[in-house]
Amino acid sequence: MATTAAPESSSSTAINVGDKAGAGDKGKAPLVPLPAAAPKATLFGPAKAMGTWRRRVSSVFDFILRVIAIGAILAAIITMVTTDETLPFFTQLFQFHASYDQMPAFMFFVIGNAIAGGYLVLSLCYSMFTIIRPRLVGARLLLLIFDTLMMALTTAAASSAAAIVYLAHNGNASANWVGICQQFQNFCQRTSGAVVASFVAVVIFMFLIVMSALSLRRRR
Amino acid sequence: MHFDCLQVIHLHINTDVLFLISSKQDHLHNTLVLQTQFVETMKGEGALEIGEPSRALIGGAPYVNKDISIFDFILRVVAIIGTLASAIAMGTSHETLPFFTQFIHFKAKYSDLPSFTFFVVANSIVCAYLVFTLPLSILHVIRSRARNTRLFLVLFDTVMLVLLASGASAATSIVYLAHTGDATANWFSICRQFHSFCERVSGSLVGSFGAIVAFIIIIFLSASALSRRW
Repeated sequence: MATTAAPESSSSTAINVGDKAGAGDKGKAPLVPLPAAAPKATLFGPAKAMGTWRRRVSSVFDFILRVIAIGAILAAIITMVTTDETLPFFTQLFQFHASYDQMPAFMFFVIGNAIAGGYLVLSLCYSMFTIIRPRLVGARLLLLIFDTLMMALTTAAASSAAAIVYLAHNGNASANWVGICQQFQNFCQRTSGAVVASFVAVVIFMFLIVMSALSLRRRR
Repeated sequence: MHFDCLQVIHLHINTDVLFLISSKQDHLHNTLVLQTQFVETMKGEGALEIGEPSRALIGGAPYVNKDISIFDFILRVVAIIGTLASAIAMGTSHETLPFFTQFIHFKAKYSDLPSFTFFVVANSIVCAYLVFTLPLSILHVIRSRARNTRLFLVLFDTVMLVLLASGASAATSIVYLAHTGDATANWFSICRQFHSFCERVSGSLVGSFGAIVAFIIIIFLSASALSRRW
């Protein structure tokens, strides 16, 4: 049976039954209407149960961490995109110009971080929503699944760029790859810094996911 | 409705609120005292803490967590197979070209490239972690209410996902470089010489990426199991 009245707390009603009902009457009693005391409580209603303030605090923390992660990713993207170095000498056979768009790994780095940064900006709205309504589970779960996906993407972008940066620093004897950092020092420094900033964003993503999982727990 | 002495009646309302109605007969005053208590619950998951008749109302909901845990277990087994296959395929990659000179190497092994070493190590660590957490996963199937162990698993699954994704992407980057080379840095593509080494190494990436997808789904499943009442 369904009813639309929804009182928020306990209430009791005394109903006068009389003598007739006690005389072996196994029949049904008339349906008693429930006391309609309070307005309809829905999922968007006031959150008064215990444990809500904890979720609110973790939502606020979540919001702050997202802002920091946006900063880190922006730093990574800007640092990588502004790499451009041309050495002052040239020969006929060798190129002496290095920039991020000549290496596909760095292009992937920029694109991956841009997608993650865009997602973080959009998810700020959702995060604010979970601050206002801490009991929503659907929004947190959605945030968690997309956080996981974006974390995997950012890790992939940062690691592939890190592998190339490592190779640029050290070279590889077996494959006869010479490390170019001796010549392109500024380029190397900027790309290394960008990779570090991206890994900071990855760590922040990890914290976001664990905090979301913590605040998703149901009370017994 | 038929009232009896101290009978508790459940009333499940379809959307999001739930009432507990208890009744007591007050013989002295010949009245029936009805007490309603507002117990709220999640939308659509009409869970009740007491009483058998409630199960009939909510259909198969008590067993969703078990299904989630079973699926989680299956995905873990899939991820074990993927990471193990990747580690073995990369670890046994070895090629020697039939000619040699004084200055140039003509042997290729996974340990020549640090990224590939990291890939093998990362896959091995993740495989060992998954094998150790299989009992925990079975525990979740049996006892669906375990909350702290699920949280523990979510934390470590996240860390392992990052490790695995990191290893796989670094190896992919180097494999791409081996296939196409790089004009800026004058890095020659070694796949033209070491053909079978390149193929083997490229194929070993597939298992790792499959395990990454499995991990993402595992984390989401654990989190959604945490958010359910059972």
